[in-house]
Amino acid sequence: MPKSGHNDLLQGTLDLLVLKTVALGPEHGWGIAQRIRQISGEVFQVNQGSLYPALHRLEEHGWVASEWGVSDANRQAKFYRLTRAGARQLTRETESWAEMVSGVARILEAK
Amino acid sequence: MAIVTRAWQGLKLLFLRNRLETDLEKEVDFHLHMEIDRHVASGLPPAEARRVALRDFGGVDRAREEVRDARGITFWEGLRQDVRFGLRSLRRSPGYTLAAIVTLGLGIGATTAIFGVVNGVLLHPLPYQDSSRLIRINQDAKLINETNVGVAIAEVWDYRKALTTVKDVVEYHQMTFILLDRGEADRVSTGVVSSSYFETFGVRPLFGRTFRESDDVLGAEPVLILSNAYWLKKFGGESRVVGTHVEMNDKVHTIIGVLPPIPGYPNQDDVYMPTSACPFRAAAEKTIAKDRRAFGALSVFARMKPGVTPERANAEIATAAQKFAESRPEVYKPAVTGFQGNLVSLEGEITQDARPIVWTLFVTTGLVLLIACANVANLALSRTLRRDRELALRAALGARRSRILRQLLTESTMVALAGGAAGLVLAWATSGLLAAFAGLFTPRAVDASVDGTVLLFALAVSVVTGIIAGAIPALASRPALVAALKDGGAQAGDAQRGLRLRGALVSAQVAVGFALVISAGLLLESLHQLYDANLGYQHADKVLAMDVCCNFTRQGKAEDAQRIYKAILERAVTLPGARQVAITDGVPRSNITPIDATLHIEGQPPVDSARAPRVDARVVSDDYFSLLGIPMLAGRAFATTDGRDARPVAAVNQTMARMWGTRDPIGTTFVVGETGPDGKAPPRFTVVAVVGDVRQFAVDSPASAVFYTPMLQSGSFHGRVLIRTDGDPLQLAASLRAVVRAVDAQVPVSGVQTLEALRENRLTTPRLGAVLLAVFAGVALLITLAGLGAVIATTVSQRSREFGLRMALGASRRSVLGVVLMQGAWMLGPGLVLGLGGAVLCGRALQSDLYQTPPIQPLVYGVVAALFVIAGLLACLGPARRAISTDPLVALRSE
Repeated sequence: MPKSGHNDLLQGTLDLLVLKTVALGPEHGWGIAQRIRQISGEVFQVNQGSLYPALHRLEEHGWVASEWGVSDANRQAKFYRLTRAGARQLTRETESWAEMVSGVARILEAK
Repeated sequence: MAIVTRAWQGLKLLFLRNRLETDLEKEVDFHLHMEIDRHVASGLPPAEARRVALRDFGGVDRAREEVRDARGITFWEGLRQDVRFGLRSLRRSPGYTLAAIVTLGLGIGATTAIFGVVNGVLLHPLPYQDSSRLIRINQDAKLINETNVGVAIAEVWDYRKALTTVKDVVEYHQMTFILLDRGEADRVSTGVVSSSYFETFGVRPLFGRTFRESDDVLGAEPVLILSNAYWLKKFGGESRVVGTHVEMNDKVHTIIGVLPPIPGYPNQDDVYMPTSACPFRAAAEKTIAKDRRAFGALSVFARMKPGVTPERANAEIATAAQKFAESRPEVYKPAVTGFQGNLVSLEGEITQDARPIVWTLFVTTGLVLLIACANVANLALSRTLRRDRELALRAALGARRSRILRQLLTESTMVALAGGAAGLVLAWATSGLLAAFAGLFTPRAVDASVDGTVLLFALAVSVVTGIIAGAIPALASRPALVAALKDGGAQAGDAQRGLRLRGALVSAQVAVGFALVISAGLLLESLHQLYDANLGYQHADKVLAMDVCCNFTRQGKAEDAQRIYKAILERAVTLPGARQVAITDGVPRSNITPIDATLHIEGQPPVDSARAPRVDARVVSDDYFSLLGIPMLAGRAFATTDGRDARPVAAVNQTMARMWGTRDPIGTTFVVGETGPDGKAPPRFTVVAVVGDVRQFAVDSPASAVFYTPMLQSGSFHGRVLIRTDGDPLQLAASLRAVVRAVDAQVPVSGVQTLEALRENRLTTPRLGAVLLAVFAGVALLITLAGLGAVIATTVSQRSREFGLRMALGASRRSVLGVVLMQGAWMLGPGLVLGLGGAVLCGRALQSDLYQTPPIQPLVYGVVAALFVIAGLLACLGPARRAISTDPLVALRSE
């Protein structure tokens, strides 16, 4: 598996990625990891061990809500969906991410 | 709202923790399965796929831990941890736990018990519907120092017509009549009331009905309502009593109803009748045209209309009273008497007498509780200092200071709650006793039982106590990490840490305890003075009193009543063991306070009757003064020559004799009262004797001016027979009853007691008050001494190394003993000084309750302080002995 050097994701960025992924539609933990891998074009391989703490922390804050359901493979799985508060948090974090990115870009373009 | 949801989630989590764990396992399981499937799908053998999946996951256990961390410990789970930890820790020091629970149990129990009384007496004084709206219409004559002047019949009618802010103006007065039922004669206190009386108070009958307007008309069928107590006593609780007949005042009355078991107001009456049925009142009503203030003995109550403020109602009543006074100035003499009307809140009036003593007791128990708190705080402080190591360790491992604080507070609150439970049991056990005590100074029975309010109070007090008792040591402990964790952490200097705080707590206890003991001592001395007080008569333990009530309708003429009394006297004196017999009307008459029972002394300038001095009148038989040993200061005793047709004579008491100034009253005459509306001149008495003062009613109030008239010259009266014996007076009770029955079988006898017992009864209130305060002071003292001993014991054990060192270096045992005792003295000293100040304050506060007892007595302070010092030093002796008995080598080697 090609591993990128960006494997050390900051915890905050992981939260952002998870929130966005879940915003696309309810999904279980494994599915979220797959989605991030696929959509990012294999750039980000989420450290699976840190995914679940992140999900539970997000649930603790009330940004996602969980529900037991049945997966495609007919197995019992816990599905997470974005809450209204989570949608607001997603917007906030997206904005601050954009700010950070533009700040870094400005520094890099400085002559 | 978020906080509420979080709190609720947290509470749910408390019970669903396990489920969360299994949920996580299932989640991880699912994840791993999907990964394995993926790898198998891309060609790896299953075993290899599993290995890769696990490796990629990166540690299932660590993930679990991190999830747990992410979820965090909720407040409730933290609390549960604290409780579990606290229980373990308390179980490890059973001595401390037991001591703390007992101490707090005493403090909380006492406070809760007295709060029960506060609850029953002050917070819910009346069992009537909407009792805060009930008022009494009061009339005063302020300028001549008369308050609560009774209301006259005509005034009630006028109030009813004039007042718009109140409804149901109802009247009440009390009479004593004879009730004849199936041949048995009973003396019953009768409440004579308006027809809407019970409606006004919101009282509904248990059986039958209350009065209707048609009952309260002259000539209506006579009806009676029974009080619950009398119904149980006389009719055995028979439900079919409604409709039966009894005889009263020579008329047949029908019983129409029975009241529920609520306390009677304003008096505990046996039966009730409508106003039209009282013969006295009916007679007075006929004279109203000539005598505006006929029958001025009524109590009048009303209910304020909804929305009316007390100020408005008060103003209206005052205006109405003013109109009376102005329309009949010759009757009311407003400029001289200052006649006015106002309103008195019923609840306020009922609680008036009880308020000071109940609050005093409540404050006292509060102080006892504070002392108990200080004790437990001290115990906890000693314990915390011993747990130095443990706390330092926890802090080093990352526990936040607030968390440690919370755990300590939880622990102390648990102890306090346990103490509170014990205290509740104590309060419940004593509630009956306290209710009886409180019932002595409120005009109704008291319910001081443990109800919802009291339980809530106990809970609140326990929690607050726990927090206080836990906060002091928790805040005082500052774990010095490095020093505490080092081996041999208890350095010599550590012993001093916290000693100042503990010493201060003990000093505070001593101060409060001292003030309480002094206060109790003052009350006890006052009680002693009351017992010793010279009432003006003697032989109280050898005199039997018996109330003999002549049926006034049958013996309405004075001659008939006197014939009966004479016969009783003649027969009773022949009883074996009887030395003397006398009769008096010592039974207090009903509250007829006319504005004009005035005194005019012959030869003195006439005084305006509104300003003339007032005197009391007594009727006595010839042997009365010698029987009671009342000194005859001048003149002669009454004799048979002072008969019905002789000139009216009187004996005046010392207080009254002073009104003659320097003149000798013997031989002069005086007149009591004014010329009545019927033109009859008031009687003119010739003074034949001056006798000593007698305090018959309240021991602690000055004697009033009284004059005595001979029985044969007086009208009819309710008699009290006094018989003086050589032996035990109660043995003659039965024979005396037989004598009365032989003279007239229909004359009931009641109130058989020795004079001594009567006097004891009147002292019940100060006696119980003093006893209770003494008990609380004793408890406070015990707790304080125990606290002092405990603190000294702790410091001794902490300083055992130091003492060992001292003794090894040559100090004598005596000097070590001295060091320990000095330490105790350092705590007692400032405490006693503060306590002195407190005692002075308490003395001033209690001044009004003390009889013949100066509130500030330096000699007593000195003695009590000395006792405290001795007791305190004795308390230190135990641990001090232990200090000097340690082998210095052992002490040096120990930690």
